[in-house]
Amino acid sequence: MADKKELHICHLYYDILNLYGDNGNIRTMEKRLAWRGIDSKVTKLSFGEVDTTEEYDIIFIGGGQDFEQELLVKDLFEYKADWLKGEIEKGTVILGICGGYQMLGKYYEAADGTKVDFLGGIDVYTTASDKRMIGNFVYEYTRDNGEEFPIVGFENHNGQTWLGEGVKPMGKMIKGYGNNGEDGTEGARYKNVFATYSHGPLLPKNARIADEILGIAYERKYGEALPKLEMEMEDAALNDIKKQLGC
Amino acid sequence: MSIRSIAAVWAGKFTTKILKIVGSGGTSLPGKIVLKMCPNILQHLAGDMKIICVTGTNGKTTTCHVIRDMIEAKGNTVFCNDAGANLLNGVVSAFVSAATLGGKIDKDYALLECDEAALKSIVQYFGEKDVTAVVTNVFRDQLDRYGEVLTTVNKIRAGLEQLPNVKLVLNADCSLTTSLNDLPHSAIYYYGVNGPLYEVTSSDISDAVYCIHCKTKYKYNYHTFGHLGGFYCEQCGYKRQPVQVGLTKVIEWKDASSVVEMDVFGKKIETEVCLPGGYNLYNALAATTIAKLIELPEEKIVSVLGGLTTHFGRMEQVKLGDGTLNLVLVKNPAGFNEVLQFLIQQKPTGNIVFGLNDNYADGKDISWIYDVEFERLTEHAAGAKHFYFTGKRAYDIQLRLKYADFATEKFSVEKDYKTLITQLQQSGEQTFLVLSYTCMLEFRDKLSEFVPLKKYES
Repeated sequence: MADKKELHICHLYYDILNLYGDNGNIRTMEKRLAWRGIDSKVTKLSFGEVDTTEEYDIIFIGGGQDFEQELLVKDLFEYKADWLKGEIEKGTVILGICGGYQMLGKYYEAADGTKVDFLGGIDVYTTASDKRMIGNFVYEYTRDNGEEFPIVGFENHNGQTWLGEGVKPMGKMIKGYGNNGEDGTEGARYKNVFATYSHGPLLPKNARIADEILGIAYERKYGEALPKLEMEMEDAALNDIKKQLGC
Repeated sequence: MSIRSIAAVWAGKFTTKILKIVGSGGTSLPGKIVLKMCPNILQHLAGDMKIICVTGTNGKTTTCHVIRDMIEAKGNTVFCNDAGANLLNGVVSAFVSAATLGGKIDKDYALLECDEAALKSIVQYFGEKDVTAVVTNVFRDQLDRYGEVLTTVNKIRAGLEQLPNVKLVLNADCSLTTSLNDLPHSAIYYYGVNGPLYEVTSSDISDAVYCIHCKTKYKYNYHTFGHLGGFYCEQCGYKRQPVQVGLTKVIEWKDASSVVEMDVFGKKIETEVCLPGGYNLYNALAATTIAKLIELPEEKIVSVLGGLTTHFGRMEQVKLGDGTLNLVLVKNPAGFNEVLQFLIQQKPTGNIVFGLNDNYADGKDISWIYDVEFERLTEHAAGAKHFYFTGKRAYDIQLRLKYADFATEKFSVEKDYKTLITQLQQSGEQTFLVLSYTCMLEFRDKLSEFVPLKKYES
C-alpha cells in the first residue's frame, strides 16, 4: 500500500493568536483533509520555539489581543522573522488573519506617529484609526484562473491596512469595510500568502477558500489536484448569512 | 430626601405602573426617566442600607439568587434588580420600585447584579456607603462589545475605584479577578476550588495565558475549567491567594446537583448544592462567602444550598407532552463548555437543540462557537436521537457540530420555533435546549403558547 499522503500544518503562536475561534481554521483543515483520506500533522509553535529544518506545507497565524503584541513582536524578531520571510519567498502556503495579517506586513503606525516594526514579509502597512470597523462582511475572492466566489466573515479592527505595489488584494468588498473602509479592497495576496481581516473561523463556512488553500499546498507537495469534496452544510451556512446581509 | 428626588420616585413608579398596564416587561424606561429628573437618585435612595454588588462575566444572576436566599435565611430583607436588567437604568428602576412614595426603602440590603461595563456608573453614588463587591470571574465574552478580557478587568477596576471602603469578595482561581486585589479596600476575601474539579479538564486557558503583571506564562498546580485554577507566576510571584471559603472535595455529582465538602473560614462542612454543573459550585462558594460575612450560621448555609430551586434560563425544566424540556442559557465559550460538561455527565438519549442568535445581546460575532469544545461531547452524545438547530445562525452552529464529528444524519435546522416545539412535543423525549440569550427569550415566548411558564424575573 502506498504511503498515506499528509500535509504538515504549522500553527504559529497558537497560544497567543487565538482570540476569536481561530482554532476552527485548524480544525477545518484537518477535517477536510481527513474526509478525503489525507492525513495532517499540526505543529504548534509558541514563544521561543522555531525549527528551521522542519518542512511545513501550510503556516497559519491567527488574531490576538493588544496585551500580548509587544511580547509577540519581540519573539518574532528574536526567533522567527528570517525563517518566516524565507517561507513566504519560497512559496509556502501561509494564512494570516486579523492580527496575523497585520504582523506579516511592514509596520503598524499608531495615532501619535510611533511605528512598531512588523515582519515585512508582504508589502502592506497598517495605520491606527479612530474608526471601528466591525460587523459581518462579504467580499469577492478571485482565483488565479479568474473564477470568483464570495467569502463571508466578521471583521473587527481599528487598524487600516494599505496595500503596496507588490501585493494584490484578496478580494473586493461587497459589504463591510475591508482593509481600510476606503479603497474597497480586502486582505492581501502575495505568492502563496493569504491574508484577511475575516477573523476567527474563516475556513469552516468558506469551504471554497479552505479548499483553495489546501489545494495549493497539496499540489505543491504532490503535483496533483486535491480531490473534490462536498460542501453542502458549509454552503448552507454561507448562503444563509449572505441572504441575511442582503447580498 | 429632596422634593426633586421624591418627584423622581413618583415619576418612576408611575411609568412602571403604565408599563405593567400595557403589558410591557420593559425594566429600563422608569430608570431612564428617574435619572433625567434626579441624576444622583441612587445616593439618596440607598441611604444607609448595606449594598452588595455582584459583577463578573459568568454567574452573576445565579450568585445573586443564592445570596438572596442566604440573606432571607438570616431573617433580613433584601431587594434586587431583575435578572438581566443590570445596567444603571435597571438598577435605578429596582431602587424606585423598592421605595415608598416618600422615597424611603425599608429593606436591610440592596443586592445588585451589575454589568461589568456599567459597574462604575452604578457604584459612583455609593462612595462612602457600606458596599460589598463580589467579582465572580472574567472570561472572554462578546468581544465585539467589550474588546479584550483586559478591557473587562479595567472596567470592573474603574468601578471598584469609586469605593475606597469596599469589602472585596474575589474568585481566587481567576488570575484576572485576583489582580483587582491591589485596589483600596477595607477587607478582602477569596473563594475558590482547592483542586481539580473533573477528571478530564478543558484545556482552554487562552483567556489569561500570560501574567497580568509581568507577562510571563502562568504555571498551574491544577485546573478547574477555562483559565481558573491554581495559577502561579514563576517570574514575579503573582499567584492564587489562600481562600477563606474553599471547595475541598466533590463527593458526588448528581443530575442537577452535587454533594460537596467545603472549608468555610476554617470549618469543614458537607452540603448538597442544588445547582447543576461545576461552574455553579463557584457561584455557591461566592454566596457562601457573603453568608459568612452576614453571619449566617453554617447549618443555615447548608439548608440554603441544599434547597435551591433552579432559576430562569440557567437551567429550567418544563414538561411538554410526554417529554421534558431542559432549557439552558449560554453566553460565552466558558459557560458553554461548562454546559457541555453537564451534558457529558447526562449522556443524553433524547433530543438536543442548539440555538444561536447574533443580536447585540448575544454578541454580534459568532466566531466564539469555535472556542467551544464540542469535540468533548461527541461520543457522549452518540446516543442522542436527534439534533436540532435554531436561531438566526442555526446553519453556523450546525456546521460547527459537523466539524466536531457529530452524526450529521441526525441533524435538522428548524428556525421556526412553533414547528420546532411541535416536533419536540411529538417526540415525547427528554430534550436539552442550549440557547443563546435572545434565542432563549424568543423560544420561551413561543413556548408559553404551549405550556404555562413562569414570568421572566428574578
